[in-house]
Amino acid sequence: MIRVALTGHVEGDWPLALPVRLGASPPDFVTAAAADDFSGLPDTICDIFGGARRILLLGIGSTPDEQIMEGAGAKAAARTLQSSRLAIDLRGLRRRDAIACLTGAVTRAWRYDRLRTIRQEDAPKLTDVSAVTDDSDLGKRWARELAVLEALEFARDLVTEPSNTLTPCEFVARLEQIATGGLTLEVLRGDGLRRAGLAGLLAVGGGSANPPALAVLRWPGTIDAPPVAFVGKGITFDTGGISIKPADGMWDMRADMAGAAACAGAMMALSRRASPAPAIAVLALAENAVSEAAYRPSDVLRHANGTTVEVVDTDAEGRLVLMDALGMAVREKPLAIVDLATLTGSVVTALGHHMAGVFSNDDALAAAVSAAGAAVGELLWQLPIDESHRRALDSDIADLRHCSPERGQPDACHAAAFLREFVGGVPWAHLDIAGVETIAEADDRHAAGATGFGVRLLDRLVRDRFEDPGRL
Amino acid sequence: MLDVRFSASSLPASGALALLVAEGAAPSGLWQAADAATGGAISRGFASADFTGKEGTTCSILAPGGGLNRIVAAGLGKDGEISERRLEDAGGALAAALAREATVSLATDGLSGAQAAHVALGAVLRAYRFDIYRTKEKPEDKPKFAGLTVLTTDAAGANAAWAKAQAVARGIFIARDLASEPPNILTPIEMSNRIEKLSALGLAVEVLTPEDMTRLGFGALLGVAQGSANPARTVIMRWDGGRAGEAPLAFVGKGVTFDTGGISIKPAAGMEDMKWDMAGAAAVTGLMASLAVRRAPVNAVGLVGLVENMPGSNAQRPGDVVKSYSGQTIEVLNTDAEGRLVLADVLWYCQEKFAPRFMVDLATLTGAIIISLGHEHAGLFSNDDDLAAKLTAAGLASGERLWRMPMGKEYDKQIKSDIADMKNIGGRPGGSITAAQFIARFVNDKKWAHLDIAGTAWATKDHPTVPKGATGFGVRLLDRLISDHFET
Repeated sequence: MIRVALTGHVEGDWPLALPVRLGASPPDFVTAAAADDFSGLPDTICDIFGGARRILLLGIGSTPDEQIMEGAGAKAAARTLQSSRLAIDLRGLRRRDAIACLTGAVTRAWRYDRLRTIRQEDAPKLTDVSAVTDDSDLGKRWARELAVLEALEFARDLVTEPSNTLTPCEFVARLEQIATGGLTLEVLRGDGLRRAGLAGLLAVGGGSANPPALAVLRWPGTIDAPPVAFVGKGITFDTGGISIKPADGMWDMRADMAGAAACAGAMMALSRRASPAPAIAVLALAENAVSEAAYRPSDVLRHANGTTVEVVDTDAEGRLVLMDALGMAVREKPLAIVDLATLTGSVVTALGHHMAGVFSNDDALAAAVSAAGAAVGELLWQLPIDESHRRALDSDIADLRHCSPERGQPDACHAAAFLREFVGGVPWAHLDIAGVETIAEADDRHAAGATGFGVRLLDRLVRDRFEDPGRL
Repeated sequence: MLDVRFSASSLPASGALALLVAEGAAPSGLWQAADAATGGAISRGFASADFTGKEGTTCSILAPGGGLNRIVAAGLGKDGEISERRLEDAGGALAAALAREATVSLATDGLSGAQAAHVALGAVLRAYRFDIYRTKEKPEDKPKFAGLTVLTTDAAGANAAWAKAQAVARGIFIARDLASEPPNILTPIEMSNRIEKLSALGLAVEVLTPEDMTRLGFGALLGVAQGSANPARTVIMRWDGGRAGEAPLAFVGKGVTFDTGGISIKPAAGMEDMKWDMAGAAAVTGLMASLAVRRAPVNAVGLVGLVENMPGSNAQRPGDVVKSYSGQTIEVLNTDAEGRLVLADVLWYCQEKFAPRFMVDLATLTGAIIISLGHEHAGLFSNDDDLAAKLTAAGLASGERLWRMPMGKEYDKQIKSDIADMKNIGGRPGGSITAAQFIARFVNDKKWAHLDIAGTAWATKDHPTVPKGATGFGVRLLDRLISDHFET
């Protein structure tokens, strides 16, 4: 992560980014701004070379909000990636706008280059941001945000890492590294999974030489209340299994653990910023491989609660590992469960790459989750679970089948209807994040690659909804 | 249409008797009278069939005595939770169970006249059949159910409610008939002719021919039509039942009488379904007819763009650029994304010509909406939250449910073209949303909602008030929207 230093004055000859309200370009740069038709509208920038230092005027409009400020910060970083340093003048901004601006710069400057051994001429060089502020309390507020951003980076790195090194076992090792300072980790493997009756995880993971695991992270918090539970799909690679995927695009399946990474990142954020809210995360970690021991279409699995499930398509493996993880989460009697999973192609057809789908059995929770997403720029749109979706899961020989064999069906809705069978009466929201876990092409706002979608959303959800003991 | 009459409450001496049973409710007077007349056959039948009136269940008792052929009871669900929907669904279940009976008396004592009319509506909607092309059907295979006498203590209330319900049923049947017709019969011209006949109901109908549309500059619509030997039509229906001079409500329908996909031709499997790619236009037609039949106090216009999408020798090609009536240019990259091209010209014409209070378009537009929502909700896209909320509520009330989908500038970027103002496809991700973004560029920022009914226009199995086949989706929904909010 790039380093951010708070300072009281503009240093040296670093490129300097100046947030500019509508019609309020600084006197020194009015001529340059006018020449570039820059007036301070949000999402615009005026890049001025030729003076003693490079100046970037960042348009923030007349009523900046956090999303506009993040966009401005991101744009400043995007345009200065080839410099090693960037100064941003935050003086005169509200504290939360200043934080948002820095957040935008840090998230945009993220990169994953630890596997590159050959130096590239055009590789990003930005390593340091100097935040110019006259707000003496900004540091404390920034420390809290930094905890979240470090957790975000942890998640993005996991999502990016290739599957030959990030196996389920290695995923657990990474969790061990963050399980410090009160955050604890418990792991079930092999016989432990069998004793717990986690048939879905064992079936899906059974085809791989890298065995599956169920990881539980716990953060005690300080409030005496049941925890909020996060559940993550962590398929470290998804070949599709016997129902194998086409070769084209299969490489993207290294990111099929993005839900688990986001949940782990959120737990890291809560612990690092010492959230008062108790929380747990249940992560289902497995590799869906093709082998002589792989599970088959038509296998019937028995969930720990006795429900029998007919397997239709081994490439719909996410919901099978999630049914087990949800069952484990329900045992903790949580206040609410939020699961995140790169679950279906159907949700990409429905919502594209700009929003994730949310399904829920609880309108208040759905609204809270959506509001948290909107606050951090991770947008959700609610989709329905109706009677026909559940009926599509009727099986000829078991309690239910895990997907419909027909083509062109609302598989995201079917998957949600399936998961709902395993949450008991607990308020639950399911985030189908397929399509938003990575970004194909970089732009001013987003770096290409892993987004870490969910880390900030879950952190914000806890902050807004679960940290006030009077509201639990 | 099933012949429905309302008459005073007295037990029939012959034919079939239909009963409605709510869980936990005391037996009604007619039920008790019938039970006595049949020597307790009803009580025994219910007990042996474990029939308690649960929602969605029926119980049939053959030759119960008392001169009756058959007694059929339908469950209304829990007493005290009886909604219009449940009454209609029970009526539909009765119609399905009574298909072998020619005349049926329905006991509704304990219900209001308006409630009785809902039961009758459910029965009528379920008893719909499109059988004009069956020439060899054996008499024993034909449904006999033709007359329903509703026994009610509130005949006046029932008749008043029925007048309105029957008008809607007529509109739904017009829509179902049109969508069921095969495409060699129902060409754009034939559909236009049928709509012109509706002027007998009091609708003012105007037809635009290809020459008219060429003169106006409907380049997007005509581009789709040019591959077919069957020329296009745009048909405008007006119903002026409201205050003179008040701006109308506008409804616009996609009417692709058959969609081969054009040069971007569809796979053979399932292509026969494309005969109902005019279901949006059919629903608009049915709606306008029902407004006229019930003399609705509202001003409304209905516009349908009728074309056939064929890969003819003059068919448009992927890569063609057409100029729409709005003046905006469109790069046609997939000729199977034709519905939005038709709507583009008709919507722009509609807002320009009529300055309506709002426009709602209905279209079997995208397969993506089925992958998004399935078959129980149609997709709702709108630039106006109030209109969207009213439509959603009307959907819940009418049983034709809508689910709102998002729009936004990020999606709009997906239809940027390299050489024209826009392209007609935005790729698989968010496919229904990008289609809506396309259409939004042709509403001139007027209040507008778009209903993607590709998943709800046709039923592949029976539902309580919708037999397998064309559903007429949209007629009830929009009639409800109008009667709840827009009548003077």
